[in-house]
Amino acid sequence: MRTPNISEASLIPAKAGIGLRFQHHQVVLDTLPDVAWMEVHTENYMGGGTPLRYLDAIRRDTPISLHGVGLSLGSAEGIDPAHLERIRKVAERIEPGLMSEHIAWNVVSGTYLADLLPLPMTEEALEVVCRHVDQTQTYLGRRILVENPSTYIAFGNSIIPEWEFMTAVAARTGCGILCDVNNICVSAHNHGWDALAYIAALPIEAVGEIHLAGHSIKALADGSTLRIDDHGSHVSNEVWSLYQEAIARFGAVPTLIEWDNDVPPLDVLLQEADHAAGFIASAKGARHANAA
Amino acid sequence: MPTLLELQNAMQASLLHRDNGAVSTMLAGHITADLLDIYRNTFVHTLTKALRLSFPVTERLVGEEFFEGAAQFFIADHPPREAWLDRFGGEFPDFLRTFPQAELIAYLGDVAELEWAVSGALYAADIAPLDVTALGAVKSEDQGRIWFVAHPSVSLLRLAYPVDAIWRAILARDDGALGKVDIESGPVNLLVERRDTGIEVERLDEQSWLFLSKLCAGQPIEAALDMAGDFDCSVALAEHLALGRFCRFDLAPGTFGSTDLRMMT
Repeated sequence: MRTPNISEASLIPAKAGIGLRFQHHQVVLDTLPDVAWMEVHTENYMGGGTPLRYLDAIRRDTPISLHGVGLSLGSAEGIDPAHLERIRKVAERIEPGLMSEHIAWNVVSGTYLADLLPLPMTEEALEVVCRHVDQTQTYLGRRILVENPSTYIAFGNSIIPEWEFMTAVAARTGCGILCDVNNICVSAHNHGWDALAYIAALPIEAVGEIHLAGHSIKALADGSTLRIDDHGSHVSNEVWSLYQEAIARFGAVPTLIEWDNDVPPLDVLLQEADHAAGFIASAKGARHANAA
Repeated sequence: MPTLLELQNAMQASLLHRDNGAVSTMLAGHITADLLDIYRNTFVHTLTKALRLSFPVTERLVGEEFFEGAAQFFIADHPPREAWLDRFGGEFPDFLRTFPQAELIAYLGDVAELEWAVSGALYAADIAPLDVTALGAVKSEDQGRIWFVAHPSVSLLRLAYPVDAIWRAILARDDGALGKVDIESGPVNLLVERRDTGIEVERLDEQSWLFLSKLCAGQPIEAALDMAGDFDCSVALAEHLALGRFCRFDLAPGTFGSTDLRMMT
């Protein structure tokens, strides 16, 4: 039998994958579901013990992508070198096909604020993010992807449209873009942007992964509505439509179903992934994200 | 225009202390500060969930609503210092010991301390236990100078209440066993560790606990023995080694070290 080499086996294919959460560790090992790849939150595997043992076992059959939520690329005071080292150690053990982080911040004055907080879209924030993406890529010795945020507020000093901010980060650092179509839908609604124009403004070659998830709709006191990115339901029809536009532009790229709250049985995630796979099959040529 | 750092400090004041004064002036004109509640809710929800995962028995003792309330106060006083939430909550046991609303359950802090040790054992780094054959190379006259580094999954606790019995009964949902716990039966000495089979919480007698505590604190075997009186340390040491409670060893400077120095001068 031919043994694939590690880099070949761990490469993330331009197919549909699912976010792997702890409650599905055992059923994934037991049933070996037919899914092209999986993504985990890096922070959940920084210790030893059972979680890492499951991931070690699962990655033997399934390529894994590491998606961080805590590096805080947008922190004015710099990124935590201890956290970066923890990420490097997980990557060393898991040999992920892709690694990604967020255009957001959550650490200030030594406190971790445990959410993906919005940045002002300023030249200063852009410089800070680019410096930290550079630092991260140099430290890890590989390219990362950065994900566009979902936001509920805007700052008075923001002068750069978010899609231009994303494009500039990719252009200045050589990183890729993780295009979260649900986040675009949520933010476009909340800020009155044109979601299709956002997608059309992103550089095709930089987009190395797409995220899909569910969001909720909250009625505000003034009668308007706010979209909340809670990853707690099926992908909405609106997001599926945007997704078709996205892959029409970006081609077939690795696409992930994320579901973090009220996590359903594994089968439900696999059905969502199948649905995405159907659209990918009809998209033009496949592209691998350059993970090296 | 605020700098990025000023803006981030203003957001922190809002999320941690509900102080929207500074951040309100930085928002775009059409944005009201109550939208920051969404971020604050996620922040509190995420951290409460992390505490819930580490302190499930504590939560069952006080109920969901009380736990969430206590968590809110705790989070405001002790927000996480790093983005690795497995390590968030180490101050929660002491917080509960001084939390006025919890004083009716005197042993609550002890239960939480046991759960924190269990959580630490669950997520302790995967480090290979000490290879016992390497000890064979130490000359017999030097063996008293051996000191160990404890495996990171090992914790030794001395708690005022028999909370190991409470913890077991609640995890097993065994009301009969819980009813039989004599809360005034005196302090317990506990060993918490991760083995291949899972987490173990073991009650140790005074001498066994003292001996292992000394060894885990890095004291040489001969010093640990001094503390242990007529206790059969060789049996205990063999068990500690067999169960992988240490991951490294070294030799402490010999008692003849000072003599040697005098000879050299």
